[in-house]
Amino acid sequence: MTKNIQYESETWEIGGKTLTSRLLIGSALYPSPSNMEEAIRTSEAQIVTVALRRQSAGDKAGGDFWNIIKSLGIEVLPNTAGCHSAKEAITVAKMAREVFGTNWIKLEVIGDQYNLQPDPFETVKAAEVLVKDGFEVFPYTTDDLVVAKRLADVGCKIIMPWGSMIGSGKGLMNPDNLRAIREQFPELKLIVDAGIGKPSHATEAMELGYDGVLLNSAIALAHDPIKMADAFKYAVEAGRFGYEAGVMQKREFASASTPTVGTPFWHQFKD
Amino acid sequence: MIKISVNGEVKEIEENLNIEELVNLLNYKIAGFAVALNSTFVAISSYNKTIVKAGDTIDILAPVQGG
Repeated sequence: MTKNIQYESETWEIGGKTLTSRLLIGSALYPSPSNMEEAIRTSEAQIVTVALRRQSAGDKAGGDFWNIIKSLGIEVLPNTAGCHSAKEAITVAKMAREVFGTNWIKLEVIGDQYNLQPDPFETVKAAEVLVKDGFEVFPYTTDDLVVAKRLADVGCKIIMPWGSMIGSGKGLMNPDNLRAIREQFPELKLIVDAGIGKPSHATEAMELGYDGVLLNSAIALAHDPIKMADAFKYAVEAGRFGYEAGVMQKREFASASTPTVGTPFWHQFKD
Repeated sequence: MIKISVNGEVKEIEENLNIEELVNLLNYKIAGFAVALNSTFVAISSYNKTIVKAGDTIDILAPVQGG
């Protein structure tokens, strides 16, 4: 008789919400709105990221998009993508709070247009203002331990270090840095955001003990986004199970797994 | 008449319009949008007491896909 393995906890909490899925999914870059909708449903993600952009009066696309997202019935995480200063990000965060009716904000302040690296100084500055203003800040940052510390110092309960550059699909560039942040901040919710390219990357992030992963391109740009959404659902679960089960210690030398006692044709070494 | 910028486009409007009058004039009827005046957020509750002045920059943002 097989035992039905369960998570240590069926649920987890982030930003005051109780969730079951640890996959956070983006809503951009899909081949079509219906494909986006089906991929998000298939992923069973319970948090979806959205954005704000200039829109002309006659354009109905924004309203149509928002109606699809609302119909999903999951948590909405607006971002401040495209902002290059704390001031811009604070303004967009306040606009998002009004439009989307949530105090959650994925704080994203870009410091370099070449690699879209987050600006740690402006991110911390904006985070401090937004936390004081009642926002639940999900700051997108690098894998720098000191920046994570500064974000925690200004009141962030969640930190989202990058795996690698946005949209690169390169996976976890610096697992040691991510591990250090996990070890130093056991009380924070940690999400690997950006750079995930394939399911095994998500599994690796979860095996490090991260609370979740946020990705978009890896699903939306797959040949079959819906099937890939399913793959990521299982990848995140596998990584979490692996973390909870406790990964074995690495060893420097080979160690036989089959018992050596009773080995036939025992090789006697002679001088 | 005064010149202002709305989402990067120059518009000529009457003087002393407030934000509420401006969005009505521009025919914004999309479901859910937010306004920034000179890069500072303007809450819906402040639309009717915020007067648009010559040279002001208005951003009207609505939901889109995001990662």
